[in-house]
Amino acid sequence: MEAFIQPGFWILVLAMAGIYGVFSLGLQIQYGVAGVMNFGHVGMMAITGYAIAILVIRFQWSFWWAAFVGVALAALGGALLGLSTLRLSGDYFAIASIAFAEITRYWILNSDGITGGAQGTLAIPNPRGFGGYTDEPEVILTWITDRLFPYIGDNASRDLAVLLVVWPFFFLFLWISARLQKTSWARVLRATREDDDVPRSLGKNVFRFRLQALVIGSVFGGIAGAFWAVQFMLLAPEDFLRIVTFYGWMILILAGATRVKGLAIAAIFFGFLYGATRFVEFWPISLLSAPERSYLRIFLIGVVLIALMVKRPQGLFGKRQEMVLE
Amino acid sequence: MYASNEGWPVTDLIQYLFNGLVAGSIFAIAAVGISLLYSVLRLVNFAAGDFLTLGAFITYFFSVTLELNFILSIIISMLAGMAICWFLELVLWRNLRRNKAGTLALFLVATGVALMLRPIIQYIFGTETRRFNVDILKTYDFFGARIPQTQLVVLVFATISILLIALFMAKARIGKDMRAYANNPSLAAVSGINVDRVVMATWLISGALGSLAGVFQGLVQGQFNNAMGETLLLSFFAAVVLGTIGDAYGALIGGLLLGLFMELSQLDIFFGGVPSNYKPVVAFAALVLVLLFKPEGLFGYRSRKV
Repeated sequence: MEAFIQPGFWILVLAMAGIYGVFSLGLQIQYGVAGVMNFGHVGMMAITGYAIAILVIRFQWSFWWAAFVGVALAALGGALLGLSTLRLSGDYFAIASIAFAEITRYWILNSDGITGGAQGTLAIPNPRGFGGYTDEPEVILTWITDRLFPYIGDNASRDLAVLLVVWPFFFLFLWISARLQKTSWARVLRATREDDDVPRSLGKNVFRFRLQALVIGSVFGGIAGAFWAVQFMLLAPEDFLRIVTFYGWMILILAGATRVKGLAIAAIFFGFLYGATRFVEFWPISLLSAPERSYLRIFLIGVVLIALMVKRPQGLFGKRQEMVLE
Repeated sequence: MYASNEGWPVTDLIQYLFNGLVAGSIFAIAAVGISLLYSVLRLVNFAAGDFLTLGAFITYFFSVTLELNFILSIIISMLAGMAICWFLELVLWRNLRRNKAGTLALFLVATGVALMLRPIIQYIFGTETRRFNVDILKTYDFFGARIPQTQLVVLVFATISILLIALFMAKARIGKDMRAYANNPSLAAVSGINVDRVVMATWLISGALGSLAGVFQGLVQGQFNNAMGETLLLSFFAAVVLGTIGDAYGALIGGLLLGLFMELSQLDIFFGGVPSNYKPVVAFAALVLVLLFKPEGLFGYRSRKV
């Protein structure tokens, strides 16, 4: 149990919570505001992460421009997905969105010359002969750890620097999202969630509103992908399996689909689940091998999803009637 | 145009047609279970793929580890699939229905079941690649095409299963009840159909078909691991949507068509042939295209709200 009192563990938990918090914020705007059930959200994360890797490693772009273009591509992905399939009803769109994410992943997996294929971004053809691609953010992270080192010594880790970068952004995005929810734009969308015909009769283009929500959510998915790239420095196709979308959904449902403020707490809970089943050495987790631990994580996420939907579909902070309407 | 390194083009055609029929018949069996559940419960069963894996592994356990008769092992694994579905209906799905759970709740609970099932399979049976104790090397030559014996047997038995399912839906009392309930739940309930019984029967059928499709798929692949069903799930959805979501007969035909389409897409005349590692993408693309241009499927009416 020692691990739980080590600062390093909690720093990692919070860093992961920040990244996946931003990720699920995208779902929150899509589902919580617009009622769009996007089950292919991980595709946006993959698009941005890989776009950054390819632009930086292969084409020698600056990380910042690559991140900007990567997030723009995620938005474009959301727009393409929406323009083609968002006119479908909820369950059809959900299936189509999974197909979108899986096509993206298969393309990454099978385009060795561009994406590095199954070996991940380390295998991207690279004129510099250098595997990593985050040297520009690395300068900032090192600057942060250098400032903190005199005060907290070895606890001033890279994870802590990532945490200190990601969380201000997370809070900023939470604030933006909270503001967004109070606009008339969100009110129209909330009305469409309950009944399409009323806003339509008021002359609102329901499809366009939903598409906007999908694209804005995709931007957050893309930004999470950029953070992900900074945290782990290399990407592989199996980092973007279907399950990752459900990490985001678990956070969202835990928080309550329409509750912005709960998202941070739910994200920390997920970060704990993730960190405890991935990086920690303590009994009884230490009895399991690394793959067994990842199964344990998947199993626990399944349990949490089912328990929430059966016992408390409105989440920890949500209103029941908003969730049951559907 | 028909450039091929070995044999003449007809050989390729026969080969892919045969492969397509085999794959398609398995898709059909899996898809009909998913489609029935959707028609009766409005539930998209995200756990369907993992039920396939489970069926294959249970059959493996009884037939290879315990050295029981292969057919008997298949029957045991079908019963096990039914038992799990029965259990989940009693403790989980029935409560959700009583609470009037929405689309998202059903989605996420089905996903949750899949997420729980997968690690359990991995924990019990391990991650190693398995193969059934059958002769997978024996092949027949048919106009130059290579017809493996196991695949031929699977095709025959899958076809029989498909015919039995179709017959069951048309003639059996519970099959008719199912279709009636799917068409109009409240009317069916008023006319004396026992709703819980219909729902339970749907679950049991889908559990049994899931296991059966899993064994067939394991046989056709020759070897399988715990990711087998999961990777096929979207192809099943494609078959379901192709054959009109919620239409059991449509799912059978949709499955066959999709299997044929996926295999024939590798022929040279089809944009020079799709590489075989992109086969799943063909299914996903078919899924998206059908949703785009004919979301009501091949046999549906436009009246459905999409």
